[in-house]
Amino acid sequence: MISKTTPWGRILYFFGSLNFALLLLGTIAVACAVATLFESRFDTKVAQIYIYKAPWFLFWLGFLCVNLFCVTLTRWPWRKKHLGFVITHYGIITLLIGAVVGSQFGFEGNVTLHTEKPPTNRITTSRSMVQIQMPGNGPFINAPFDAAAVRPSEKQPHAFSLPGTNWKLVALDYAPQLMRDSHLEKDPAGKPGAIVKLTSAMAGQQLEIPLLLGDKATETTDLFGLAKIRWRPELPKWERRWEQETQMVFAHFAPVIQGNGAGSGIPISLSKDGRELTVGSKGYALSELTGKELSADSAKFQLMAYWPDFAMQEGRPITQSQEPNNPAVLLRIQYPAISAQRELALEMAPADCGVDYQLVRDGVIYASGHAEPGAAFNAGWMDWSVQVEEFQPAARIAGVTRKALENEPETGIQGFWAYLENGQGQKGTPQWVESGRFTAFTAGEAEVRVGYGLEVIQVPFSLRLLRFEVPRYEGTDTPANYISQIEFQDSQTGKTQIAEAKMNHPASWPGGTWAVTSGFNYKFSQAEWNPSDLGETILQVLYDPGWMLKWIGSLAICIGIGLMFYWKPKKT
Amino acid sequence: MRLLNCNVCWARWVLFIFGVSLGPLSAAVDYSALEAIPIQHDGRKKPFLIFAQENALILAGKTQVPVGDRKLAADELLARLWFEPQKWLDQPLLLVDYLPLKEAVGLNPAQKYFTYMELMANPALQMRFANSGVRPGQTADALTKKTNELKTRLLTFEGLVNGSLYRVAATPVGTQWVALPAPQPEFGALKNAFQSENPVRFLEAAEIFQRMLSSLSPDKQPPGWKIHLEVYYQKWHPFRWAWIFYAASAIALGVTWKRGRTIGYKVAWGFVLAGFFCQLLGFLSRILIAGRPPVTNMYESVIWVSFGMVAFALIFEAIYRSRYFILGAAPVAVLSLILADSQPTALNPAISPLVAVLQSNFWLSTHVLTITLGYAAFLLALAVAHIALGTVIAGGKLSAELTNYVYRTLQVGVLLLAIGTILGAVWANYSWGRFWDWDPKETWALIALLVYLFILHGRLAGRWAGFGLSVGAVLGFMSIIMAWYGVNFVLGVGLHSYGFGSGGFSIALAFVAFELVFVGVAIFRKYQLCSPSV
Repeated sequence: MISKTTPWGRILYFFGSLNFALLLLGTIAVACAVATLFESRFDTKVAQIYIYKAPWFLFWLGFLCVNLFCVTLTRWPWRKKHLGFVITHYGIITLLIGAVVGSQFGFEGNVTLHTEKPPTNRITTSRSMVQIQMPGNGPFINAPFDAAAVRPSEKQPHAFSLPGTNWKLVALDYAPQLMRDSHLEKDPAGKPGAIVKLTSAMAGQQLEIPLLLGDKATETTDLFGLAKIRWRPELPKWERRWEQETQMVFAHFAPVIQGNGAGSGIPISLSKDGRELTVGSKGYALSELTGKELSADSAKFQLMAYWPDFAMQEGRPITQSQEPNNPAVLLRIQYPAISAQRELALEMAPADCGVDYQLVRDGVIYASGHAEPGAAFNAGWMDWSVQVEEFQPAARIAGVTRKALENEPETGIQGFWAYLENGQGQKGTPQWVESGRFTAFTAGEAEVRVGYGLEVIQVPFSLRLLRFEVPRYEGTDTPANYISQIEFQDSQTGKTQIAEAKMNHPASWPGGTWAVTSGFNYKFSQAEWNPSDLGETILQVLYDPGWMLKWIGSLAICIGIGLMFYWKPKKT
Repeated sequence: MRLLNCNVCWARWVLFIFGVSLGPLSAAVDYSALEAIPIQHDGRKKPFLIFAQENALILAGKTQVPVGDRKLAADELLARLWFEPQKWLDQPLLLVDYLPLKEAVGLNPAQKYFTYMELMANPALQMRFANSGVRPGQTADALTKKTNELKTRLLTFEGLVNGSLYRVAATPVGTQWVALPAPQPEFGALKNAFQSENPVRFLEAAEIFQRMLSSLSPDKQPPGWKIHLEVYYQKWHPFRWAWIFYAASAIALGVTWKRGRTIGYKVAWGFVLAGFFCQLLGFLSRILIAGRPPVTNMYESVIWVSFGMVAFALIFEAIYRSRYFILGAAPVAVLSLILADSQPTALNPAISPLVAVLQSNFWLSTHVLTITLGYAAFLLALAVAHIALGTVIAGGKLSAELTNYVYRTLQVGVLLLAIGTILGAVWANYSWGRFWDWDPKETWALIALLVYLFILHGRLAGRWAGFGLSVGAVLGFMSIIMAWYGVNFVLGVGLHSYGFGSGGFSIALAFVAFELVFVGVAIFRKYQLCSPSV
């Protein structure tokens, strides 16, 4: 037994006391509960910044370790009855140490693979960082920095000093959403560019989209997942394939449609007197339809038969009288085959002093034309209209970045406001550093380029997606699994290895019992997929050297609690 | 989608609504002749009876649907929708019960059921449908959720009325079954038999029809035993028998508490075992039908937790022979099982295909079963603690024996909850690629564990004894309610989104309020009794 009277003993008994344990258990439980409410109210990031990843919380968990450790010493010398107690408490410490090891020496990230893309060895981690490039294509300096967590401000600026110089970059503000107001500038060396304005009163949205040939970022713009806007040197060609179906339409029946995207999907109804047929939004007198082929809503249809008083007799349709008691028609409908690409798109290409455009639905062009600056046309998606604001045959895009206003659409681009300072204390103009883009800073003679975003790690092997499959539940579109077949290639030895990542069955590299149990192993779990491109898969990547400690700790906790509650040593 | 481009003219529909009516409904024919027809629906093949009940629930929110002056059983309703669809367009059949939605689109707030035509001709509602999409990463508000629910209801109705949902015919290629074309002779004969209202003819036609269906691609047919098992399971409803037996057991024990100890106790044991056996049969049926452990939605977990609680009560009862465990567990099991069957919209009894991430019988049966067994042990602790606190409220003295039982059950819960939470983390490490990331569901499991550890450590520290432990067993269960129900139905964020749902909030709130008042009264009584002035 360790004496309670010595100073060390007093400290030990204080930190190892049950009262301290109660305080820790209570506060951690309450803090976690508050964090989940935060998360539900605001978002995950807020809960992480203020609680889960906040220094005080980690500090508190550290105290928990101290408490767990001290309490085991206060029971020294241990006897048999202490076995479960000691195992449990050290198990928790081991687990927490494993968590620290994992977060310090391991990483979590993700990688997007495509069956038609070359192998990659770059993995995007979930860690934010700043990358500073020294002048004249100099070396890159990397510094871990999460602006959302640090939240630099005028009062609490965050400075990065640049080694080898006495310059520094100072961050002064943070914005969760940045907007870029773009305009075209004439540039004789530039390529054709345009600015189009999209407006929807129904969605309450209006946005300007800059387009420039050769600029990857504006080649394809995604409009809230509703439609794609493409800017190409020439309009892409789409071929029409036709599919055919026959439909019985009854006057007294519900309008005929087919759910789940099967069939033409065109609503058809027959009036009660059997005289008028409505296809899509157009009405036709039945008498003028006989023998003709008509088109409506991008489909063609033909009247095959008409029964004023439909009935089945011996398995054959007949008409019981000439009175319209139960009018029915048989229609043949030809409609454009739905291509693998299920999407809406606005495609544009420069032409003369304006743009040529075509509107495409599921691989079928439903409208096209030419628009000069000032001209507008309807997109046909809800009430969206498109206006060509500006066109330049040779231009570049210039832009001003600013904080997004409350009511503006999400851009997903965050960033921080910073300036560069040289050795003489000369400050350059402050600017926004946007995530995913490099910004040039100058101050006197000092000049650097600064990038901000998620850290990308190069792993010692490359991955290639051989095959991606999404089996469905019978007769539905609901995915039953996601299967990615991946080929790993060791960058040094060139040895390849094929593995499959399925739901609940991750793929591993290098794999094998030792690597998997120790955690010195890269694990690839299915994370996301792209319903409109079945060649693409996103895998979550985990490299966790703390894994062994975690599972030893876990096992110890379970065994320890079991021993404590249900094992009584025999008295000797 | 048809719903979105409905441009109907008001006057036309109004005329239509008053022009045609369903006429008297007679129950001449026996619809059970159709019950065992396999039908492909929602990712699996199920008997017509189950198909009917699930769709009746979607359309009207119940399986006995009021139509005119009669209540139609689900199988009759779905048969009628199949055979005479045109008569249903103007029947008030579709449930709209969310008041803010009715007010927002100008539907009569006092009315509960609406006709298809009424809803389709409502321009405000159509506008809402067109704008009710939820972007990924956004959480929908209640109104949007209810709007989308109604959209599903209308789409289901359309699918039923145009026949496309009645996928009874296997096809030689692929796994997709199809609806029968109208001129199909056996189907026509069945319809004619239905219209003739001749029970004998209908029975014959149904038999011929079913034989014709099973002769289509025989290798694609589901095994007959499975279909019949599901029909029996649905009709016999073993979980209902289970709570009847549990109730009988509690009554037997209650009335013989003072006198006739042994005989009453034996009778109670017999009833509990009978109820337990029924529940076991129900579980085995669900496992055989679904091919996976039955703990994948709220309905199944409520039943599983009550099952686990009775199992623990039986084990403890076998060890201690104290009567308290059965007395505590039986009424709680009765309440849980009745709750499970009385809230079909919040607790959906349908056996549906699993989201891909849950597709692992190994992890489902280890992580989920363990963690829910932990809930079960804590529920038993709550039940026994109720007896303990009840004794205090009644002015009796709390026996050390009784509080020891509370402690014993809490131990079981702590062990299982710890193992279950850790197994969850290990599963997440495989499936999601991380061990622990403060997902609300995992955080709340941890909070519940910390709460119970707090209770047990407080007892070790001498801060409370038997009474405090009982209070803790009741209050601690509130954290389980949060981890179990609250995260999925109230918070509604995180990766466990496949279990999210809505409804039952008032019941949960009433339960929490009741427990708080109960504990308050117990504490008040305790100090009243202890204080020297009394």
